Order: sequence, then C-alpha cells, then structure tokens
Amino acid sequence: MLQPDSLGADSRRNLFSWICSVDHKRIGIMYMLLAVFFLLVGGVEALLIRAQLAVPKNDLVSPQMFNQLFTLHGTTMVFLVGMPVFTGFSNFIVPLMIGAKDVAFPRLNAMSFWMLPFGATLLYFSFFTGSAPDAGWFSYAPLSTKPFSSLPGVDYWIIGLAVMGIGSISGAINIVATVMCCRAPGMSLQRVPLFVWIMFMQAILIVITIPPLNSAISMLLIDRMLGAAFFEPARGGSALLWQHFFWMFGHPEVYVFALPAFAIVSEVIPVFSRKPIYGYAFVAGSSTIIVLLSYTVWAHHMFAVGLGMGPNIFFAAATLLIALPTGVKIFNWTATLWGGSIRFTTAMLFAIAFLIQFVVGGLTGIMFATVPVDWQLTDTYFVVAHFHYVLVGGIVFSLFAATFYWFPKISGRMLNEKLGKLQFWLWLIGFNATFGIQHLLGLMGMPRRVYTYDDNPGWALCNGISSAGAVFMAAGTLVLVWNILKSMKSGAVAGNNPWEGFTLEWATTSPPPLENFKELPEIKSRRPVWDADHPDLADWKSEKTPEDRGHRPAGAKVAAWSFVISEAIFFILLLVSYVVFNSGDEIEGPTSETALDVSRTGFFTLILLSSSLTFWIAERCLRRDKIGGFKLWLGLTILLGCVFIGGQVWEYSGLISNGITVNRNLFASTFFTVTGFHGLHVTGGIIVLGIMYMLGRLGYLTSKRTHVFAAVGVYWHFVDVVWIAVFSIIYLDVFK
Amino acid sequence: MMLIPELWNWDSLVWLAIGIILLVYFVTFKGMPPLRRFALGLGVAFMAVAFVSPIGYLANGYVFSAHMIQHLLMLLIVPLCLILALPKQRVASWFSDTPKPQLAKALVMIGWIGGVGAMWFWHVPNLCSVSTQNASIGLLRDSSFMLAGLVFWWPIFGPLESTRLSPPSGIVYLFSACLGCTLLGIYITFTNSIVCPVFAQSVDSLGIMASLQAAGFTPMVDQNLGGLLMWVPPCTLYVGAIISLLCRWYKVLDPETIKGPVASDHEPAHLV
Ligand code: HEM
Ligand SMILES: [Cu+2]
Repeated sequence: MLQPDSLGADSRRNLFSWICSVDHKRIGIMYMLLAVFFLLVGGVEALLIRAQLAVPKNDLVSPQMFNQLFTLHGTTMVFLVGMPVFTGFSNFIVPLMIGAKDVAFPRLNAMSFWMLPFGATLLYFSFFTGSAPDAGWFSYAPLSTKPFSSLPGVDYWIIGLAVMGIGSISGAINIVATVMCCRAPGMSLQRVPLFVWIMFMQAILIVITIPPLNSAISMLLIDRMLGAAFFEPARGGSALLWQHFFWMFGHPEVYVFALPAFAIVSEVIPVFSRKPIYGYAFVAGSSTIIVLLSYTVWAHHMFAVGLGMGPNIFFAAATLLIALPTGVKIFNWTATLWGGSIRFTTAMLFAIAFLIQFVVGGLTGIMFATVPVDWQLTDTYFVVAHFHYVLVGGIVFSLFAATFYWFPKISGRMLNEKLGKLQFWLWLIGFNATFGIQHLLGLMGMPRRVYTYDDNPGWALCNGISSAGAVFMAAGTLVLVWNILKSMKSGAVAGNNPWEGFTLEWATTSPPPLENFKELPEIKSRRPVWDADHPDLADWKSEKTPEDRGHRPAGAKVAAWSFVISEAIFFILLLVSYVVFNSGDEIEGPTSETALDVSRTGFFTLILLSSSLTFWIAERCLRRDKIGGFKLWLGLTILLGCVFIGGQVWEYSGLISNGITVNRNLFASTFFTVTGFHGLHVTGGIIVLGIMYMLGRLGYLTSKRTHVFAAVGVYWHFVDVVWIAVFSIIYLDVFK
Repeated sequence: MMLIPELWNWDSLVWLAIGIILLVYFVTFKGMPPLRRFALGLGVAFMAVAFVSPIGYLANGYVFSAHMIQHLLMLLIVPLCLILALPKQRVASWFSDTPKPQLAKALVMIGWIGGVGAMWFWHVPNLCSVSTQNASIGLLRDSSFMLAGLVFWWPIFGPLESTRLSPPSGIVYLFSACLGCTLLGIYITFTNSIVCPVFAQSVDSLGIMASLQAAGFTPMVDQNLGGLLMWVPPCTLYVGAIISLLCRWYKVLDPETIKGPVASDHEPAHLV
C-alpha cells in the first residue's frame, strides 16, 4: 500500500517484491520497520528492568536474567534501533532532498540492510543457547573474557555486532557517495538541506567510528576462541585497552545518534516557524566540527580508571570544548523559533521538547566532564539519567518529530494529530518521571547495573515513580502504533506538500513514484520548493549562496576511498595494540627479534610492493585500451600477490612448528592478529583482481570503465601501504 | 623560574635568523598593511620565545615537554604566522601562469607528509637524543621543522589561490593530520618506555631538575605531558583552521575574486 507500483499485486508477490527491492524508499521503510520492531523488543526488556526495580528486594527476575536484560536492552537500542532508524530516514529522505533517482549503489544498499536482520538473529539466537550476553552493552574486560564469561553469550554478541557493523559501514559509504555524486544540477554542497548535510556528516562519522569497535571485538574474539590474552590482565593483557578501544567507538557513536536528531529538528523547526533556519552555515559548520571533535574525547568515560592527572585534565577540557558546537546549534534553533509564526503541530511539539530535554542532558554531561564530579557520580543512576536525557529525551523525541513530519510523504496519508498530541503528553510525562527522578537517585548513591537494592530512605519511592513513568511511555508507544495502523487505512490524504515544506522531497507526489520525480523545480537557493511556490519572495533574490560548479566525483572512487579510510583505522588500532604489548618490558617467550626472519620477509615485502607497480601499469594499459597488456600485467599482479601469500604461509608454518601459536604469548597474539588480518585483506584483494581479470577476458572491462578498476586499485595500493607500516613496526621494530 | 637569568639564551643564533627574515621581508614587500606586518612580528616573536626564553634553555636536554613546546612553535605557529604575512597579490604576480594541477597536488602530498612526518621522524629515540645533544643536528632539525611547517600550511593559507586546497579537501587534510599527530601523541602519553633518552638522565647544571622531580615532575610525567602537548594543541589549532576553512566555504565568492585580479595593488583587510 505504500508504493504505487505494488498496489494491486497479490500479497505473496508483494512480499517477495519487498525482499528483492533495491529501491531506496522501500529499503528505507524496511529499515524503519525493523527499528520499530526492535524498539518494541528493547522496550519490553526495559519494562522488565523497571518492573524488577520498582520495589526494593524484588525477585521478579534472577540476577543473571537482569544482567542479560540490560545488556540486550542497551545493545538492541544502540545497534538495532538507533542505527537502523536513522539510516532508514537517511535512505528515504536524502535522495529525495537532493533530487536524485536513487542512492549511488542500490544493490549495496539492499545488502547493507539485510546484514541487519542477519546480525540481529545471531544476537538473539543466543537466548536459545541458554546464555544471552550479560556483560553490558560495553562488554568490559575482563568480565567479558573467557575465565569470567565462559558461556557463548559474549561470542554471539561479538559476531552479531560484527555483522551489523559491516552493514552500517557499507550503508554509510552509500550515503556518502550519494550526497557527493548524485545531487541534481544546481544543488551545490553549500545548498543542500541541513538534513542532508548533517546526515552526510553522520555517515562519515560512522565510516570512521565503527572500525575501532571492529578491532576491539576481533581481538576479544581471538581471546575467547583462540586463547590469546589481549584483555586478560592475569595473563599480561590489558583490560584498560578494551575501554580505550570501546570508547573510541562509543563516544563518537553517541554523536552518530545526536547528529540525526540535529538534522531532523533543523528541518522541522524552520518549516513550522515559517522561516528559513537562522544561521545555516553555523548549523552546518558546527556539525562538521562535532564530527572532528567527537574523536578526541573518549577518555571522559574513563576518568575513574586512573589515567593520571594530565590526561584527565586534557580530556575534560576537550569534552567541554565539544559542548560549544552543540551550544551554537541550540542558539540557532531558538533564534529560528524567535519571531516565527509557529504552528504547534505534533512534530513541532516533539522538536521543542527535544530542544529542552537535550539541553538538560547536555548540562549533566558537562557536569560529568568535571573530573571530581564524575568521580562522585560515575556508575550511579546519575549516568543513566544523563544519557537517557540525551538519548531518549533528545533523540527519541526528535525521531517522533521526524515520524510525524515525514509520514505523509512516506505513506501518502496524514497521521492523526489528536492521537499524536496524546502520545506527546504521555511521553513527556512518562519520560521525565522515569529519568528525571534518576538524577536524584544517582545523587543519593544508587549504583547502576544492580539487580536490586536495599530499602534505603527514599529509594523505594523514587524507583516506584521511575517505574510508573515507564508505563506512560509504553502507553504512548501503543498510541503511536495504533495511530500508524489507523492512518494508513483511513488517514487524511496528504497531497504533495501538506506542511508547506521548503525542500525537494515536497516537490513530488506522496508517496513518490519509483523514479522519485517527474520534474524538478529549478534549484537556485537552499529552499527550492519555497522559491517555486513564492516566486516574488524567492530566496535567491535576497540571499546569494555559492553556485553549483557541476563537479560530481565518480561513485566508485568515493566508495573505494571511504572504505580504505575505514580499513586504515581498523589496522591502525591493531598496530597500536601491537605497540602497546611489545614495547614495554621484556616479555617471556618469543619476540620479533627471536622469532622472525627479517630478510626473508623483506624479500616478500618487495614482491608485494612490486605488485603495486604492475597494477599501475595494468591500469595504464586499460586506459589506452591495450587489453593484451592489461591482462598480462594484471595476471602478474595476481601472481605476485599469491607469492606474497605463499611467503606468509611459509612463515606461519615455520612459527607453528616451533610451537609459536596465537596463544603462546602477547607477541605471538599480536603478530598473528595483525599479519593475519593483513593476509586476509591481500587474499580478498586477489579474489577481486581475479574477477577483474575475468571481466577483462570477457570484454566487459574497457577504457570507459577504468574508474571501476581504479577503485580496485585504491584498495590494492592501500593493502601495500598497510604492509609497509606492518613491516616497519613488527619486523624493523621502529618503536624500540 | 622565569627570573633565573641563566635560563635566558640572550646570545642565541636565532636573532640572526630573525634579522634575515625581517630584512628580506621589508626589502621585498614595501608598504604592507598593518595586519600582515603584525603576523610577521608575531612569527618572529614566537621564534624568539622558542629559543631565547627559558623554553629554549629547558628544551635543550632538560625538560621533554619544553622541547615539545619548542617543536610546536617551530613547526606550526611560526610558519603559520610567516605565511599569513605574505601578501596575496604580490606573490601571485611573481607567477605569470598558474601552476599545473599536478604540481599543486604534489605540493599537498609533500606538505602533509612533511608536516606530520617531521614530528614522527625526529622522535625516533636515537634521533631525538642526538639532535638534542649535537648542536648542528639540532639546527638541522629546527630548520627542517620550519620548512615542513611552511609547506604544510601552504595549501591551506598560502598566498597563491591556485595552490590552495578547496575547503572540503582542506578539512580532510587537516583532520587526517590531526589523527597523525594524535597517534604519536597517544603513544608518547601512555607508553611506559622512554621516548627520548637524554631527557631521562638530564645533566642538571643549574640544580633545578632535582627540585622539579621532588615536586613530582618526574621524567615520566614530563614525557606524558609532552605527549599530550604534541596531541591536543595541534589538533585544537587544526580545528581552528578548519573553522576558518568552513567560513571561506560558505562565503559567497563573486566571480571576480575567484579569477584573482593580479595587477591591482589593493590588499584586502583580512588575512586569509
Ligand atoms: C554536551 C555534550 C555531552 C557531554 C559533555 C557528555 C559527557 C559524558 C560523560 C563525561 C560521560 C561519562 C559518565 C560516566 O560514566 O561517569 C557520559 C556518559 C554517557 N553519555 Fe554523554 N555527554 C554529552 C552528550 C551525550 C550525547 C549527545 C549522548 C548520546 C546521544 C550521550 C550519551 C552518553 C552515554 C550513552 C553515556 C554512558 C555510557 C555508559 O557508561 O554506558 N552523551 N557523557
Ligand atoms: Cu562520551
């Protein structure tokens, strides 16, 4: 019923056509539906947590079960609600807003989506093994290592996350390429709607922020499966390293959620204030700055672990700094509201509530940035209150705003405003009751992550209020679900532009046709639809914006570079762990000096490096349409790659026959991890080169398609560059 | 501490370098607007601070973090000031035709590798010690920092419009440079091994090290502080530069300024 092309088809074919769809709108909707489903799952888990905590000394669920509940709740909300729902909106709205037909890589898009249910199944399958993960959404080591979590729950957690991470990165690369390569003529990057710009920044942030998590979980998996000891202090590992890696992912991740919220309110507030946003450049620019800064503050989650005075002070200062670009935006939104002719639609109400509640969450965040305050309050319910104010009060509220704002475009029908307002008030009351009171509980010293508590003065009452509030939120959610079901059947018909919106998605029908637009209005400003509707008051007449110079890079190149950057960060962190474990005091057992043959590997290094050269020559041949030379040099490249892998096999078998295996000591663990992942990348590269070779033979690869081959080249050269780093750090020991 | 006269290197060679820079500048560019002259003044003042003030003295084998401050001044601050002191139109008029795109690209690569690489290169433990103990290698190091800094800032703030990066690429350039120094900074901050051995056993000719150490400022703390200094201030500076790039990007350029009228002597009031 959502797609005109699917109207009338019989339901079985209909379902099948959804599964096979590569249309960005359908994939966007599937992302959202998946998120809604898991919002309900995670919500039920939350309700169980609150039910257990409603009264002191409760025994509704066992301690073990309680740990599983809060672990799955956190993991679900982060990876199966937060990530997909915003990717869904991004998928649906971004191509429409930039006047594109689809995303840059529709099939990659479908694959990215299907990774999610796959990962989710792995994660929840752990339930049936009798041991759901129970080490927290952050899986702190050493709790998450084998000696303390011997059941397979954590393994499912790791593998589920890895699968979903791959999906998230490829989805994000797609958005990056779409925004860079598919904008309609006239839409310079300085003219894209703020939603597009900020989601572009968010996609970039995903590309660089998931790799640290991937490094961390691969190392944890190697610990658990192969007996290494990266994160086991008892065997020389470092539990702190896990925290560093995890928060290097975890802090930017909170901005992966915060940015879309900013993106949404930056569209909703101007439209319902009937004004352009105040200070477009500030909102856009400060989002860019946030991406950069979010990478510099992770250790504020670690003030209590004893980093030392210097690092604590620096990270505190950086944390305060990152509040500035957020503050700038709050100012811009408020200034947009100021003097506007405001329409208090449900979407607008949610956006305004977002503004206020996010500020509260930001303020408690700033309190935490002050180290002594953090020492007092960390691991109490004050932290729970803080991040739920930003995550729920901020982000979920903005999500509701987005739902009410774009539902008409997605479905062609309006949501019911009366039910919407009912839902709004239920959530407003429920949310503030549940989490507001937790500030107090935190100040009174109630620790987080405990399954029950003593009947201390006031605790029972506060917890009771907190649990009661959760019921209001649950009721509000049911109202929303009811509203959606009802409106899809019998809601008022929306028309193209029910809110008198400014941006291109409102220039087409609701829902949009398969190819999105019959025709596009002229784009000469940041509000093309407004310009078309009000020719006399058009923006471009009063305010100049940088012209579109028409430059659109090749999608394959953008994708290759984004991928390589992401992989580079993954390897950098693995190498960091090598340096951490191999530069200190002497370690027992084999080391790089005693175990490795530098000159032999030096030879294979030259082999690998020369394969970059042969690749380059092959690319030149292809560009000049010399297919014979192309096949020859490409074949040579593949051969050199295989020789390198052969060298690695030789080296490995020598080491293993000397009893040097992954679990021998930390040198061996780090060595095998780094070189093993590199070897996998070379192998993957060889396979892709093989495919290229076949395409060349079959005549599909010609000088016109060099950009695809060039994109493969970016990857191949990258793998070589990584090896240079690996060789200098591990074999040449430059850090000693 | 500032008051101890021995800590000031009044007879430092840097005065000579400063003299040459000033001379060349004022002979080549006459009648510069005050803002440019101010940038020049700031640049040479920081040079003096880096070598004449106690920072210069302590950097010489006593305090690792002072040594780091000296590097930062020479690699980032001084070259930035000097580049900002160059008048756009005058420099542009030296080059009759615009440089080839390949040249501009190569310059960017060299700039990035130089800017990030200099820090890495001179902190290989042995090089770090040698350049501190041996005056001529020290000179080589300091001038290489300065040179690297100039090439590093050139694609961002250089006077030639045609060799500048577009703002988005400039942001990538600066952000990746920030990651580059972050990595080394993290290593130096958190490692337990000695990065620059001379500072671990500094000869204490003035008798100040003992009191510093007694106050808890051990070589290890010193080194951690040095790591943080290499990491946070440069990144902050880069973020500042990124903000200026963003401003440039969102500003509407009228077609004339893009083409760049070469002949006119008129200098705009702003620096970048
Ligand atoms: C003004 C901006 C912010 C500041 C200064 C800030 C600061 C902090 C600090 C210092 C902590 C550590 C508290 C502790 O564990 O002792 C923390 C925790 C947390 N923050 Fe924020 N924060 C800010 C914004 C956000 C945003 C926007 C989000 C989410 C979108 C967020 C989500 C979280 C989460 C999830 C945790 C807890 C993680 C855990 O321990 O499981 N914060 N915040
Ligand atoms: Cu954080």
